[in-house]
Amino acid sequence: MPAYHSAFLEDTDVRIIGNFALLPLRTKTRGPAYTLPSLPAGVAELDLDPDHESYDILDETLTLFRANTLFRNFEIKGPADRVLIYGILWISDCLSRLKPTMTLREAEKAITTAALEQYALPGDPSFPLNALYQGPRDRGEAELLRGYIGQMRQELGSRLLTRIYADGTGKPSKWWLSFTKRRFMGMSL
Amino acid sequence: MAYQTPAVVMDNGTGYSKLGFAGNDSPSFVFPTAIATKGPAGGAGGSGSGRPAVAQKPSYLTGGAGPAGHLSAKRGTEDLDYFIGDEAIAMGSGPGYGIHYPIRHGQIDNWDHMERFWQNSIFKYLRVEPEDHYFLLTEPPLNPPEARENTAEIMFESFNCAGLYIAVQAVLALAASWTSSKVQDRSLTGTVIDSGDGVTHVIPVAEGYVVGSSIKSIPIAGRDITYFVQSLLRDRNEPDSSLKTAESIKEEFCYVCPDIVKEFTRFDKDPERFQKYVVDQGAGKKVTVDVGYERFLAPEIFFNPEIYSSDFLTPLPVVVDNVIQSAPIDVRRGLYKNIVLSGGSTLYKDFGRRLQRDIRHLVDARIKRSEQKSGAKSGGLEVHVITHKRQRHGPWFGGSLLGQTPEFRSYCHTKAEYDEIGPSIVRRFALLGGPA
Ligand SMILES: Nc1ncnc2c1ncn2[C@@H]1O[C@H](COP(=O)(O)OP(=O)(O)OP(=O)(O)O)[C@@H](O)[C@H]1O
Ligand SMILES: [Mg+2]
Repeated sequence: MPAYHSAFLEDTDVRIIGNFALLPLRTKTRGPAYTLPSLPAGVAELDLDPDHESYDILDETLTLFRANTLFRNFEIKGPADRVLIYGILWISDCLSRLKPTMTLREAEKAITTAALEQYALPGDPSFPLNALYQGPRDRGEAELLRGYIGQMRQELGSRLLTRIYADGTGKPSKWWLSFTKRRFMGMSL
Repeated sequence: MAYQTPAVVMDNGTGYSKLGFAGNDSPSFVFPTAIATKGPAGGAGGSGSGRPAVAQKPSYLTGGAGPAGHLSAKRGTEDLDYFIGDEAIAMGSGPGYGIHYPIRHGQIDNWDHMERFWQNSIFKYLRVEPEDHYFLLTEPPLNPPEARENTAEIMFESFNCAGLYIAVQAVLALAASWTSSKVQDRSLTGTVIDSGDGVTHVIPVAEGYVVGSSIKSIPIAGRDITYFVQSLLRDRNEPDSSLKTAESIKEEFCYVCPDIVKEFTRFDKDPERFQKYVVDQGAGKKVTVDVGYERFLAPEIFFNPEIYSSDFLTPLPVVVDNVIQSAPIDVRRGLYKNIVLSGGSTLYKDFGRRLQRDIRHLVDARIKRSEQKSGAKSGGLEVHVITHKRQRHGPWFGGSLLGQTPEFRSYCHTKAEYDEIGPSIVRRFALLGGPA
């Protein structure tokens, strides 16, 4: 049982840029992603069933993060796996920006700033995973991809914080922070 | 029939020795296979006394006659100043003594230390007169015949024991499983998974004989699982991440889960799964270590070695399947049907269940492929992993069972036979517990 793949590999009806899938997201941040309905009242993120209409690749990324970061090898099976990899590496990046003593407020500030910082796109010379990702074909595609990845970074960052501040102590979970040193596929953004 | 003294059963493992008497349910003594002698520590794994290890000539280079026979004669009284087992660990951590581990990877590596270890085992712990007892000793699979001869020489010449039988640990482990209700026939055919401290062996046995060419060993066992727990404790900066703490946490809290992603989610939903372990650091100082994901991640390295090691990547279920596939075709059915667990590192809750499921998936997938190719329906294949109560000291308990049978003595070589024929006599033993 090697590292886990994305279940969204089966969704063929999505826009692909390069070899990256613009899967629907459940988010209020603005951008090009097709948006899924927000969570129905009374349903917690943790209890969301993968078959639910609101379940998205970011829910999956958060679920697979801890298991997958333990693995060094991963065979990419399609465009959805590249979204998963980017998401996992982004979570690692976020964790490395947190300190055990940070309040939720401070953490939100750090992560929001990081999400909006200049970030490289597949195909850019500074993008670290160019061996695995193809870049966009033109400026139109590049803009679309930048917008989508921006949405991913913000939404995933904020959902990550919800999880790691869930225990009510006001401090980030040491269980999540312990994954800071691990690198999925030995890589980082 | 006249009263017979019980046979002495000794299973000396890389990490622990199990000593006791045939007919008993459990060994009388279980302690580290360690010896503390005056002076610095020996090879790797020694205590912290710092000196580099002195290379030792492998025993087979010194030949069958070995130096062992002379050692006891040469030794003066100062050589009685040594300790074994838990006492060795305690002495070795202080000044003046060094700890040595005479067994490496299951095989005896230092005969002088082993002889002294046995001497103390017999006279100080078991407190028996060897000339009144028959001895049943165990050996790892593929033990070189010279090692058997050295053992016989020590047992007969240094200790004068009355009789000796040397059995392969895996065969004894099969016999130990006969106590399980799941085992229908007392068969000596099966695949033994013996996982102790240093190595994990997968050993196919057909009618009491090891299928030597198919044995595989895996460099992942108890010690590695302890190291992995330790690395997880360190990642979290727990207040105590010593090996001792890691090992205790491993033995007390770890279990095998069906799926690690689902298990992480269970921890999210049920915080009670996190536990606490209190370490007494001595001098009245106690610290509390949180115990979390290592509970299921640590033994996961058997099933996903990649999360621990970068050079050994084959999951245990795949190794087992490969081992059985490489055995002669007419015994494979029996090997899948009776996969027997043995050794301390198979004790994790649900270890057998997960192993059985994963092996079954591999087997079913192969059957399906071949059915598709041939178009013919196959009869299927039973895969049974046997978890049983005597697993922990499987080889010792199997020795206890077989050593108490009325015919046991007739399978041994006696002191008189040894004196007549010499060490080579122990190259062969008739199969104990096999079909008469
Ligand atoms: N309840 C337990 N759960 C998990 N591991 C355990 C448990 N009890 C003991 N162990 C581990 O089992 C190992 C010792 O097993 P065992 O006595 O079978 O080894 P051994 O025979 O000395 O070594 P080998 O077979 O490698 O020569 C140690 O690593 C110990 O930590
Ligand atoms: Mg053993």
